[in-house]
Amino acid sequence: MVLNYILRRLGLLLFMMFTLSVFTFSLSYLFPGDPLSNLSGISNTNFSQTTELQDKYHFNDNYLMQYFAFIARIVQGDWGVSFASGDSVFTHIIELFPATLELSIYALIISVVVGVPAGILAAAYHKRWPDKLVNSTTLVGYSIPVFWLALLLIMVFSLQLGWFPMSGRMGLLYEIPSQTGFILIDIALAGFPYSGIAMLDALHHLTLPTIVLAMYPTTVLVRFTRESMLHVLEQSFIKTARAKGLNRAQLIIHHALRNALLPVIKQIGLQFSTLITLAMITEVIFSWPGVGRWLIDSIYQRDYPAIQGGLLAVSMFVILATIIAELTYTLFDPLSRNQAHGKV
Amino acid sequence: MAKFNLFSEESNKSPLARFWRKFKSNHPALVGLWIFIAFAILAAAAPLIAPYGVNQQHSDALLIPPSWHEMGDVRFILGTDDLGRDILSRLMNGATYTFGLSVIAALITTIIGVLIGTFAGISRGMRSSFLNHLLDITLSIPSLLLAIIIIAILGPGLINTVWAIILALLPQFIHSVRNLIVTELNKDYITAFKLDGASNWHILSRGIFPNIYEHIVVIFTMALSTAILDISALGFLKLGAQPPTTEWGAILAENLGLIYLAPWTVGLPGVLLFLAVLSTNLVGDGLRQVLKARKAD
Repeated sequence: MVLNYILRRLGLLLFMMFTLSVFTFSLSYLFPGDPLSNLSGISNTNFSQTTELQDKYHFNDNYLMQYFAFIARIVQGDWGVSFASGDSVFTHIIELFPATLELSIYALIISVVVGVPAGILAAAYHKRWPDKLVNSTTLVGYSIPVFWLALLLIMVFSLQLGWFPMSGRMGLLYEIPSQTGFILIDIALAGFPYSGIAMLDALHHLTLPTIVLAMYPTTVLVRFTRESMLHVLEQSFIKTARAKGLNRAQLIIHHALRNALLPVIKQIGLQFSTLITLAMITEVIFSWPGVGRWLIDSIYQRDYPAIQGGLLAVSMFVILATIIAELTYTLFDPLSRNQAHGKV
Repeated sequence: MAKFNLFSEESNKSPLARFWRKFKSNHPALVGLWIFIAFAILAAAAPLIAPYGVNQQHSDALLIPPSWHEMGDVRFILGTDDLGRDILSRLMNGATYTFGLSVIAALITTIIGVLIGTFAGISRGMRSSFLNHLLDITLSIPSLLLAIIIIAILGPGLINTVWAIILALLPQFIHSVRNLIVTELNKDYITAFKLDGASNWHILSRGIFPNIYEHIVVIFTMALSTAILDISALGFLKLGAQPPTTEWGAILAENLGLIYLAPWTVGLPGVLLFLAVLSTNLVGDGLRQVLKARKAD
């Protein structure tokens, strides 16, 4: 039963990856300019180079062969070279992705730690002042454009108060060798005498971008947890429990919470999609050296191989995160395994 | 849950009238609706109301703070920017681009989304499965990323942004409409209707749509708030509206260099953006609450 479900999800994953790769492949034809240079990242070639590239990319064969050659190169890690830097796109992504991932994960942790309890609180005090307070706060947080929030925080905390730096990942004083790409882990691994101060500096740099990035997912989680909790509190087994004479705390902690938090697990995984989008804007504002800022820069520079590679990497990551979240959810909730085929 | 009706007075008003009565009692939503209407009027009539032209420069009045500031000038209520352009006029005209175009984008999305969503909802078997898998993929690509990719294909510009946003909003919209239709199709009254020999067209036009159009309005408000946020975000990233255009995100990006010298040039467009999104969300939330309350009746 479980195995069947997992196989079905894997099938879906394969199908999604396939369509994504077809879309990415067709982008080199959709983008302006020569498809061959869009795909390889090498432009201004002479005759012999062009024939060599045409051979390598199977450009004289039909589209199907070209697509298979494309897949083979993707698997090998040969994603073409960037127009702007001349370096391999794949290396760029490997270097930059951890920075985005780090920021997103911290933001996600904050939004779960703040959002889920706030949602439970709002549902426990439904239609009373904590609920109203939480509700109106989330509505405000939900409506703030992320870039404006970032600029407001920069205006207040960086320019007026001077508490936090406004850009970058690390002070220029410290040189941290990049091993994992996650700055906090790298500092711990580097193990030089002043690592405590360096860590503090990195945390200082992290604070504002993380808050900005966490705002939207937090509000989504608050609203979702509240809805889910209210839904569970209306069920008959809760009424039974109340009739047995349990007080509100027992009711919520022992009976409602487990059932209400199940869908929240799935929702947490779905947040990665929004997180990555918002991270792109946040990275641009805070000059965070992640894959989002690189992608936006590639668009300014019309760097088509880089856009293609970035899209592929980011979407693959989001699809994987979604599928993993769904699988975790299924492990916890047996009811959800009985879904019909192709149900979304 | 069954409720006792304490008063025997009968209420035979039309569904729309009852809807409005419930909506009216929710004051925040009502305030949101008024702000929403104000923005709509502003978007339509901004060039007539605005005190100055959009690109009219006042070389004697550069970077004047808002008029409540002691350095302010009453001629320019919200101050001027570094080229001496009146910020109030620019922001009023911005409503046409940011708010007006978002409404248009959301409307087009609604029309296309309802059509495709209905088709996805009533189709069965292989076709439905294929559509759903396709939706799964597009849903997993973030909407802004999708919009950015489409802009990379089409090239930056305001109209291209609108197309990109429509295409990026569609998957979510189709998905919601499809879910609505499938839920409604499984209800007994539709089965009865079918047994009476109603065709697909009859089921949709007489049975399903009268019951779900309010939900579609709610989805529309969600699409609208996303559209406003996305249009301004793209303007801010300099991928959408280009600087002399008075789109709010573009104004913000243009004045980013003045953030220390003249914070109001960055703060004020953001306030308007925030208000526009907030009013849309308030109306959407109000509608959703009415629908929920009616379901409980």
